[in-house]
Amino acid sequence: MRLTIKPMKRCLSIFALIIGLNASAQQYLTRQGTLSFDAGSPLEDITATSNSATAVYDAADGKLGVQVLMTSFQFKRALMQEHFNENYVESEVYPKAVFKGKYHEGRAIGALTIHGMTQDVNVPATLTEKNGMAHLLVEFEATIEEFGIAIPHAVANKIDKQAKIRVDCKMPSR
Amino acid sequence: MKQFLLAFTALIATTSFAQEEDLFDLLDEGDTQQITYATFKGTQLINAATNETPGEGVLQYVIAHRFGSFNDDYLYNFLGLDNAQIRMQLDYGITDRLNVGIGRSSFLKVADGFVKYKLLQQQSGTVNIPASITLHSTQNYRNARYTDGIDHDLTDRFSYMHQAIIARKWNRSLSTVVSPSVVHFNLVPSANDPNTTAHLTLGARYKVTNRIALTGESTLLSNPGLSSGERFTTPIALGVDIETGGHVFQLHISNTRAMNAPYWMARNPYSVSNGGLFLGFNISRVFTIKE
Repeated sequence: MRLTIKPMKRCLSIFALIIGLNASAQQYLTRQGTLSFDAGSPLEDITATSNSATAVYDAADGKLGVQVLMTSFQFKRALMQEHFNENYVESEVYPKAVFKGKYHEGRAIGALTIHGMTQDVNVPATLTEKNGMAHLLVEFEATIEEFGIAIPHAVANKIDKQAKIRVDCKMPSR
Repeated sequence: MKQFLLAFTALIATTSFAQEEDLFDLLDEGDTQQITYATFKGTQLINAATNETPGEGVLQYVIAHRFGSFNDDYLYNFLGLDNAQIRMQLDYGITDRLNVGIGRSSFLKVADGFVKYKLLQQQSGTVNIPASITLHSTQNYRNARYTDGIDHDLTDRFSYMHQAIIARKWNRSLSTVVSPSVVHFNLVPSANDPNTTAHLTLGARYKVTNRIALTGESTLLSNPGLSSGERFTTPIALGVDIETGGHVFQLHISNTRAMNAPYWMARNPYSVSNGGLFLGFNISRVFTIKE
């Protein structure tokens, strides 16, 4: 009898350990993250916001992913929104922008894909975990041309070549 | 028991491994509903209306010209440019779906008003709608004096066009439109002539670059002529759309000169074979009134 109980206990303890590990491996997810950008100039106000960005974060290994549908960006002007999708980011061909990487010691490090082109990014970020909620806040600049987005000469002085991007995602634990 | 333990740990290990792999897959599992945008560049293809409307709070001004006959004494008449019909239009997007406007054309001095409503929008994702449907209705008032010596009252001067614009963007370059339409004239020359006639507009645009597109349209008609013997032809037009910022320039060649739907759809006397080939353009400019 003793011989059979011992391994069973061990099995249980391993099981408990794994359960415990899983509980500490907290994952967070939101599909209502806010992602906005400003590529305007004194000549033209070019700002847009999406309130349907998806963000995932795994507290155990620091994995962080953010994705946004290009057509979910709302501009103040309907025509600007159309031009953004149709002529600049070509949403029909490249429907989303994605960041896949890690959050590590106050920085978001990984690969950012916009307009089908991927660039490595390593930018300051804050990620705070509180009451079952992870809050990601990143502000950084991206060079539009590095993502193969052409800016016609006629509007070159209206568009800031450095787009200021702001990510603000409150992710509940899943 | 050892074997069981080993298998169990292996199972747990694979599931947790699978979970990690799945983290980024979660990104794609959300709502991917996409409403098709910019099926056409303008609210008009050439003469025919497209499913597009200006967005909410957008005021649009359209100025259109149809020049004189292109191939009638073309040097003397400077390819018809000496003799232009003009129409001006002012319209406004009350919501993203509802658009109202007014217009005035020199062709028979027609004043018009119209309403356009986006009933269905093409979209894909959880809900799939393969085409957009926009309802469009115009009311036209002929200001031009009648030459038949009869004192025509107000109602005689009205004509209407109602249509369902069915549009589909097949891919980023190709969009097509099919619009079953009815035209009604309150006054027709003879009791033998129908007041209401059916029409079918077919149109397409093909984007050559992000800002330039080729367009074409034709409208089939159910009334080839009047009992008096006057014949009507099938309107046909080919054009090019050029988009620059807030403007869309549409340059085209067609066999019609009227710009109000009842007249170009159901009362077009010109055909290429009898010298009816006209240059024309539409230029639209939008102003964001309410941001």
